[in-house]
Amino acid sequence: MDNNDKPVLIDMQHVVKVFPPDVVALNDVSVDFRQGEIHAIVGENGAGKSTLMKILYAMENMNAGEIFYNAKPVHFQSTGDAIANGIGMVHQEILLIPEYSIWENVVLGLEPTRGFGKLDEKKAIADVLEKIDEFGFHLDPLALVKDISVAAQQKVEILKLLYRNVSVLIMDEPTAVLTPQEIPQLFDELRRLRDNGHTILFISHHLDEVLDLSDRITVLQKGKMIGTVTSKSTSKKELARMMVGREVIFSSIRKPCQHGDTVFEARNICYRDEDKVERLKDINFTVSSGEIVGIAGVEGNGQFELVNTIMGLITPQSGSIFVQGKDITEEPILERRKLLSYVSQDRKTMGSSASAPISENMIMTHHKLEKRFQKWNGLVLNFHEVTKFAEEIRKRFSVNMGAPGAPFQSLSGGNQQKVILGRELSLSSPFVLLDQPTRGLDVGSIEYVHEQILGMRDQQRAILMLSSDLDELFRIADRLLVLYRGKIVADLITGKTTINEIGYLMLEGTIHEN
Amino acid sequence: MNVIIGLINGMITGATPILLAALGGTMTYYAGIFNIAMEGMMLGGAFFAVLGSYYFESWVVGILFAILGSLLMALIFILFSVKLKTDEFVTGVALNLFALGATTYMLRQIFGVKGAFASPGIVPIPDIDIPLLEDIPVLGQILSGHNLLVYVGLIATILCHYLIYKTRFGLRLRAAGYNTNCLDTSGVRSDRIRTISVILCGIFCGLAGSFLSLGYVTLFSENMSAGKGWISLAAIILVNGNPWGIALISLIFGFSDGLGLLLQQYLPSQFTSMVPYIATLIALYVYSSRKKKEKFS
Repeated sequence: MDNNDKPVLIDMQHVVKVFPPDVVALNDVSVDFRQGEIHAIVGENGAGKSTLMKILYAMENMNAGEIFYNAKPVHFQSTGDAIANGIGMVHQEILLIPEYSIWENVVLGLEPTRGFGKLDEKKAIADVLEKIDEFGFHLDPLALVKDISVAAQQKVEILKLLYRNVSVLIMDEPTAVLTPQEIPQLFDELRRLRDNGHTILFISHHLDEVLDLSDRITVLQKGKMIGTVTSKSTSKKELARMMVGREVIFSSIRKPCQHGDTVFEARNICYRDEDKVERLKDINFTVSSGEIVGIAGVEGNGQFELVNTIMGLITPQSGSIFVQGKDITEEPILERRKLLSYVSQDRKTMGSSASAPISENMIMTHHKLEKRFQKWNGLVLNFHEVTKFAEEIRKRFSVNMGAPGAPFQSLSGGNQQKVILGRELSLSSPFVLLDQPTRGLDVGSIEYVHEQILGMRDQQRAILMLSSDLDELFRIADRLLVLYRGKIVADLITGKTTINEIGYLMLEGTIHEN
Repeated sequence: MNVIIGLINGMITGATPILLAALGGTMTYYAGIFNIAMEGMMLGGAFFAVLGSYYFESWVVGILFAILGSLLMALIFILFSVKLKTDEFVTGVALNLFALGATTYMLRQIFGVKGAFASPGIVPIPDIDIPLLEDIPVLGQILSGHNLLVYVGLIATILCHYLIYKTRFGLRLRAAGYNTNCLDTSGVRSDRIRTISVILCGIFCGLAGSFLSLGYVTLFSENMSAGKGWISLAAIILVNGNPWGIALISLIFGFSDGLGLLLQQYLPSQFTSMVPYIATLIALYVYSSRKKKEKFS
């Protein structure tokens, strides 16, 4: 069916949203969504995708503009109002009660009752089961939400909206929490919903996914509407250009590397956790200056423990860690930080203090290691220097931010990551540990981060990078290690292996015999 | 035999105010409010119970006044911690101190006495003899002839269990405690659920307070709740808010209360009156170590 035949269901006209004091999140955005289509909204972090959808869902107010729904102007007072009118949103993070069963989660807020406010359990379960069967979701309504997979939890979220007879589903980056195997299944379900007449609005920055799934694609760039295209008539390259405003290179950008001396060495590291489970088994590897070593592996195979061992958050039962020949296995964290930079995979809790000012997040660690930030023997901070430093990082890493005193959480995800990278890369440490440095970032920001990492390599730093994105590892790492059940099962030169080979190693720990 | 029956009856009497206050507190516990104001609500209730009973010469009015007095405390709690989003713990401490000061002040201003006010004019809540049951030997002596509020406590336990686990309100109440955002996005205003839970807590604490001043004894004395609100908090935490569990723990605390009295023959009363507070400390220790485990798991 050609999309142009479908009637327009939602028409958002000239939407403007300003976050005080001066951040323009949406600048005169006009977009229409048709009945029964899957419509993707793409853009870099901070482009305004989520804000636009939140305005439609009445989670945010708009400063100007109009929304037409079925050709009538509407103004929803609350998200409940939006749901009652058939528009529902599945948020990025799962919002369910783990202790409740699936049916309890689904009916919460709209429970069938008998006299005296008694829950009509039978009817509720029957109703939920009917919806599960109608949409082919394969869920057991009696199962507790905490016992089911994230993908199934996401289905419960969708089910919850379908139970409320929602016909427009807004999905905010639904694939971010899924494993690669779970994504096609979700897409099949979304397609089935579309074929049933539901309209799906889909926020994403994974261009492959978007092209695979959606009928039409709207591109936003820094709060401005760039255009709406049909996915049949576009390509990944074109979309990337529309998003970023320039060409994006997807192929490998590695240059031949010149190794220096060994900077980092892990020697015979073994770690057993509190439950006596062996998490790291005899880990041995080195990283030389001017080298990027990537660690691949399915999550939960020891990456978390390895990173924490290097950072000193856990102490291994045996083995040692050396940086520039110095044994840091037992050193306190501040001593380690003189030798290593660290970008954690968890921006929100480990990498930053979300409610502290941006400037304070920028000088963390620096304020301890560098004299220029201290006054009165380190009793007070030298705020003049702090402001100067914040300005330096803002310029060098082109952070899009308000005043340095604004809270860190006011930044978009990409800019948060830039601040953290800026802070860590400004340290003069010889060894850099990067744990999922581009998770949750858009193509433009990822490219930028990769350039920065390669730039560090050129400064002869030793870089260890953990990533669940194999493309990323192949793009910039010189050497690849594969972690499988707490062991390093392979140490390969990137140019001499393939994604397939690494994939087998990740899943089975050995190379498939052929 | 009579000693044992006396001890059991003492246990039941001692358990009742703790049970009633804890049933109120369990509502806020499930709603995710760290409510420590049961002590203050109870004390307010106890004072107003005497006020109502003395001036209107009716225990019914006494109970009504107790509920109103306790509700007044609950409304202050709602205003600050639910509406103005102040810290629940600090609000609770303030409310407990306020209740102590206000009742002591009013005792002196209204009744013109210091320490305690007792008068034949205060009408106590009657004891209830259950026909037929009272005639059974031993069992009748244990089950019959208790204060009206003892039976109210039993019925309230059953009702609370039903309310929390079987009704629509209960589902939403527990959801408010588990995940406020989830409840809000489901179209239920969590603020309202929390408000209702505090109001229910106020009503129960009012009943508990009226039992203190019109049931247990027939007088009001300064700080007569004497830590029972804290013990009720400990009871809730120990059993994760389960009403039947609370009933059991209340009986144990009631027993330790009676034991404290018994021990007074051998130990200075200053030591025996420590028993409830030591029990609370133990309860909070259990709570904190359980929380720690949750955090790391």
